Amino acid sequence: MAKWTMAIDLDRCTGCGACMVACKTENNVPIVTPEEAHEGRVMNWMEMITEYEGDYPNLSVRRMPKPCFHCDNPPCTRVCPVGATYRNEEGLVAQIYHRCIGCRYCMVACPFTAKVFNWHEPIWMEGADTCYNPDVSRRMVGVVEKCSFCAHRLTKVKEEADGEDRSNNDGEYLPACAEICPADAITFGDLEDRTSAVYGKSRDYRAHRIMEDLGVEPKVYYLSKRT
Amino acid sequence: MKELKTGSIASVVVRFAYAGCLILSGACAISSGDEPDQPIAYNHKLHIETVGLECAECHRYVETSAAATLPPLEVCRSCHESEPLTESPEETVLLKYVADGTEIPWKRIYHVPDHVYFSHRRHVVLGELDCGLCHGVMQEQTAPVRSAFLEVKMENCMDCHREHKVTNDCLSCHR
Repeated sequence: MAKWTMAIDLDRCTGCGACMVACKTENNVPIVTPEEAHEGRVMNWMEMITEYEGDYPNLSVRRMPKPCFHCDNPPCTRVCPVGATYRNEEGLVAQIYHRCIGCRYCMVACPFTAKVFNWHEPIWMEGADTCYNPDVSRRMVGVVEKCSFCAHRLTKVKEEADGEDRSNNDGEYLPACAEICPADAITFGDLEDRTSAVYGKSRDYRAHRIMEDLGVEPKVYYLSKRT
Repeated sequence: MKELKTGSIASVVVRFAYAGCLILSGACAISSGDEPDQPIAYNHKLHIETVGLECAECHRYVETSAAATLPPLEVCRSCHESEPLTESPEETVLLKYVADGTEIPWKRIYHVPDHVYFSHRRHVVLGELDCGLCHGVMQEQTAPVRSAFLEVKMENCMDCHREHKVTNDCLSCHR
């Protein structure tokens, strides 16, 4: 069984934010009004963490794209009282919106703050309401949502592969962020496949995972020479 | 205390009344039915048995994409050009659409909610399922279908998935 994993090379990442934009459009993530943004209701499945080091003029910036880590031992699924979030056989931590009751326990449980809550009925900008991605449902007010590793793409890739009676090729299933990255910083694939690019990256000497001591086994590897 | 009690009784009465209304309205919906009248009383039996058409000849994308699609005018036009082939008054209606070049406003019977991914290709080609399993025996339908043969409900999907021993992982259908 596949184990879908992402590797983000921070030494390659320029922090351009293309992954965030691709994610927003791919997954119909609502764009909130300035007032809501002011209340801290900005919704991103792929976040960009920015850290500044040093003082001007000797300033250095660290940028780190942060999707859901799809932990192998996810704390969020344990606290969900209705089974709306669960880890499937392929290691994807799913969020089933129509089952979600909006209690937000999972948001509290997630150590990486990967989940966002729909505080308001999403407002679609003029024009955007007619060109959303039909492969992803639009969420309603009162449910928690998060990065799905673009699982809808996997469904299609599987269908294509089954039609041709073969298994998925490495790199055939890519989330929108990995596909768009102009610096090729994001690698995605099956960790169980020893020939996959992502397996190689996960074994790199620069590879580490965030907050590894928590034991939640995140499936996003960061590669960086900087400590 | 007494006031409170009266209030709670009133609220219970209101709730029952509301529930009653809901049930009644539900019953009405079932009896009158959401039965769309099709623009043309298409005879499936005639087209399948006499003409020998296959499902995929009109529902053209059933084997290649997620949606089977309703037949566009050009599909009808490929047989019904200008001269009537039968004496059916329905064909006259069709020929009018053909002459005008306007698409026939077929009404959809089966609606899959937008949070569900259902692929006809996956079921018909890869799963090798018969269309009739969900859509009924169309070879015997002389009038347009008015309601879904198999209701689009999660339990119907899951029962069949269980029976055929295919995945019931939420993520395989929900998106």
